[in-house]
Amino acid sequence: MIFKDYETAEFFDEMFPRSGTNAVREHYGSVRRRFTSYSEEDFQKKQSAIDRAFVEHGVTFTVYSDDQGTERIFPFDPFPRVIPSEEWTLVEQGLIQRITALNLFLHDIYHEARIVADDVIPAYFVESAAHYRPELKGLDVPGDVYVHICGSDLIRDQNGCYVVLEDNLRCPSGVSYVLENREVMKRSFPELYQEMKVRPVSHYPRLLRETLRRVAPGGASEPVCVLLTPGVYNSAYFEHTFLAREMGVEIVEGQDLIVLNGFVYMRTTKGLEKVDVIYRRIDDDFIDPTVFRDDSMLGVPGLVDACRRGNVTLANALGTGVADDKVIYAFVPEMIRYYLAQEPLLDSVTTYLAYREKDLRFILGNLPELVVKAANESGGYGMLMGPTSTKEERTIFAEKIRENPRNYIAQPVVKFSQHPTLVDGKCEGRHVDLRPFVLYGDEPKVLPGGLTRVALTQGSLVVNSSQGGGSKDTWVLRHLKEG
Amino acid sequence: MRYHITHRTVFTYGEQAYDNVNEVRLSPVANPHQALEFFVLKVIPATRLKRFSDLYSNPVHHFEISHPHHSLSIESQSIVSVARYIDYSALPYGCHHSYLKDLRSREECCEFLYDSRYVRRSPKIWREAVDVQDGSTDVFQTAYALMKFIYDNCAYLPGLTDASTTAADICERKQGVCQDFAHLLIVYCRSLGIPCRYVSGYIWDPGSGSNETMRGAQASHAWAEIYLPTHGWIGLDPTNNKVVNEQYVVVATGRDYDDVAPVRGTFYGGGPQRSMEVVVKVKLMDYDEE
Repeated sequence: MIFKDYETAEFFDEMFPRSGTNAVREHYGSVRRRFTSYSEEDFQKKQSAIDRAFVEHGVTFTVYSDDQGTERIFPFDPFPRVIPSEEWTLVEQGLIQRITALNLFLHDIYHEARIVADDVIPAYFVESAAHYRPELKGLDVPGDVYVHICGSDLIRDQNGCYVVLEDNLRCPSGVSYVLENREVMKRSFPELYQEMKVRPVSHYPRLLRETLRRVAPGGASEPVCVLLTPGVYNSAYFEHTFLAREMGVEIVEGQDLIVLNGFVYMRTTKGLEKVDVIYRRIDDDFIDPTVFRDDSMLGVPGLVDACRRGNVTLANALGTGVADDKVIYAFVPEMIRYYLAQEPLLDSVTTYLAYREKDLRFILGNLPELVVKAANESGGYGMLMGPTSTKEERTIFAEKIRENPRNYIAQPVVKFSQHPTLVDGKCEGRHVDLRPFVLYGDEPKVLPGGLTRVALTQGSLVVNSSQGGGSKDTWVLRHLKEG
Repeated sequence: MRYHITHRTVFTYGEQAYDNVNEVRLSPVANPHQALEFFVLKVIPATRLKRFSDLYSNPVHHFEISHPHHSLSIESQSIVSVARYIDYSALPYGCHHSYLKDLRSREECCEFLYDSRYVRRSPKIWREAVDVQDGSTDVFQTAYALMKFIYDNCAYLPGLTDASTTAADICERKQGVCQDFAHLLIVYCRSLGIPCRYVSGYIWDPGSGSNETMRGAQASHAWAEIYLPTHGWIGLDPTNNKVVNEQYVVVATGRDYDDVAPVRGTFYGGGPQRSMEVVVKVKLMDYDEE
C-alpha cells in the first residue's frame, strides 16, 4: 500500500487534506484507486519503461559548473499532479491579466514612461534594472506585444492559494518536458489517463508556430520563422532542437544568419533566404555584438538595427528582461491597478526591497526567517535560504546586501504545497511548483498544463533542475459541461 | 452559454493627436441573467485607467493620453456566461396598457418615458405607432408588433447613417443599422407610454450550419428593452426581429446611444486624415476545440 504512513505535515498537500486518513481531494479519486491497485512490481516495470523512454528520446539538460558529464536526464516522477478545471480557470485568467499588464508596462517604459511620471514606480528602479535597454526607447514592435512566450513560476501557499513567484519574460524553458512527460504518461498509464478527461498539451508547437506567424513584420501571411539557439552547450539545447523539429522551422546559430541592408537572411544550401521572425533563445546581451556585448560570438551583427527598421520580429522582443528584475516584480500588482484598473487575480509574494531604508533594517534584522534573492539572478543561483543558512553565510550575505542594496530583495519563506511523490516504491510528500506557459500572438493563450517541478530531496524547497529538482506531468481536467 | 468576446478599436491619425481624453463602456454588466467571469481592457499607448460606474450603473473606464501619438488602440477581452431565461412558449403577455399609468412616478423607469438626445417624439411618430398598435391592449403584444413593423419595413443598410442620425430621421427614411432600429423602436414605445431603454452589447451568431443568421454580429450590437410592471425589463431586437435571449450579451443600458457609446473621446490635432477600425469577435467557448 503505497500511501501507508503518508505525512502531510504542516503543508498544503495537493492530494490529501490531512495525514492519517484515506480521504483525498475529489479530483484525485481516480488516481488513488488506480495507484493502490498497482503492485510494487507494476510500478518498477513502469518506472524502468519510463526511464528507457527518456534516454531514447534524449530528453536531457545541462548543469553548468559540474565537471562530470554535464548532460543529464531530467528526473521524472510518474505521480501526476491534477488540477481541476475551476482552479485552472483562476490560474489562466490571472496569468492573462498579468501578461497584459506586463506588456503594457514594457510598452510604456520604452515610450513615454507614464507609470514613472505618475510616481507609481520610481524611475531609479527601472533605469537601474540590469536588463533595461535605454537604446530601445521609441522602438515599436508588431501588435505592441513584447512578451510572446512567458513561463511564470507559481506556487501554492499554506492555504492552497496560487502565488506568482517570478515571471520569466526572457527565454523561459521547460515546455519540451511538458510535452515529453505527457507522451510517456499516456503510454505508462493509459487507462487512468483516459478516465480522467485530461486536457491535451500536444498542440503547443502548433500554437507557438501560429503565435510567431501572427507577429511577422507587416503582417506577411507566410513568414519565414527560425529558432535561434546559442548552440549545443546551452542548458536547454535539447528543447531548442525539439521545438524547431515539432514546429517544422529551421534551427540556426548566430553564424547562420547575416544582416544585409537591414534585412536578416539565413544561409542555406540554396543561397540566402529572408527571415521574418526569430524565436530567439539567446539573451539580449549576446544577440548583437554591435549594440550589446561586443565579445559575443553567439549573436548576429546588425540584428537590432533590422528590428528597429521593422524588418524582422524577435520573440520575445528585446528589453523584456527589465521586468524579470525582482525589484520590478514587486511592482506588478501596482502595474495591474495602474494599467487595467483592476485588482490582481493572482497573489504575489510579499517582497522587501533592500534599497528602502525601512525594508533594509527589517531584512538585516530578520535574515534567519527570510529568503534573500539577488534581483537579477535566476535558476536558484545567488540566494540565501534564511532558515537553513549558517551564521557565516548570513554574515557574508548581510555584507553583500549593504554593499549593493538595489540588487537585493527578501521575501518571507513560503511553505509551498507538497505532492505525493514516488520514493523507493512508496509515496512521500515533496514540494512542488508550477510553470504554466502563456503564448501571446494576437490574444494571450495559456497552455492547459505546464511543468510541475518537484524538489526530490526531502524537505527541500528548491525545485530547479540545476539544483536537484525533478518534474511531474500536470493534468488539467476538462470542464464538465452542464446538462 | 459561455462566450469569449474580443472588441478592438484602432484609431489612426494622419498627424499627431494629443490631449486625447476618452470614456469607454466596454465591460459587460453583471445582471441576474449574465455573469462576467473575466474582463481585461488594454489601451495603447499605455496609460493609467480609471474605473467608475455611471448613472445607469454601467461600468466605465476613463483615460487620458496627453503626449503626442499617431494611433490609439483600445482592446477588451471578456468572458461572459449567460443563462437561458426566455421561454418562448411563455412570453410575457398579460400586461395591460392601463398598468403603465403609474410608472411616471417610478424612479427606475420614468427617464425612459421621455425624450432624449436621439429620441424625440412627434405626432407623425405617434401616429405610426398607434396604427401598428391596432387597438391592442397588451403591452408586450404592442411592443412585439412595433419590433416586427420595423423589421419588415426598414432596410438594413450599413453606411447610410452615422452617429448623428436621430429616431426622427429613421422614421422618415426607414433604413439604417441596429443603432437606428433600436432608436426607432424606443421612440415608438415611448410615444405610447411604454418605458423603453437602449442597450448596447454583442450577439453570438451560430453561423453556417444553423438556420438563422444574425445581423450585427460583426460589430457591437444594439437593441431595446421595454419595461413591464409584471415582468421587468424585456429585450427586443428589431434588427433581427427577435426577443432577446441567451445569444445576447449586455454591455450597457441608457436612454439612447448617447448614454452608452462604447468609445467616446476628444482630442486635439490628428489632422484631416484619420481612420477607425473596429473588430468584434464573439466565440462560443468550447474546450474541445484543442
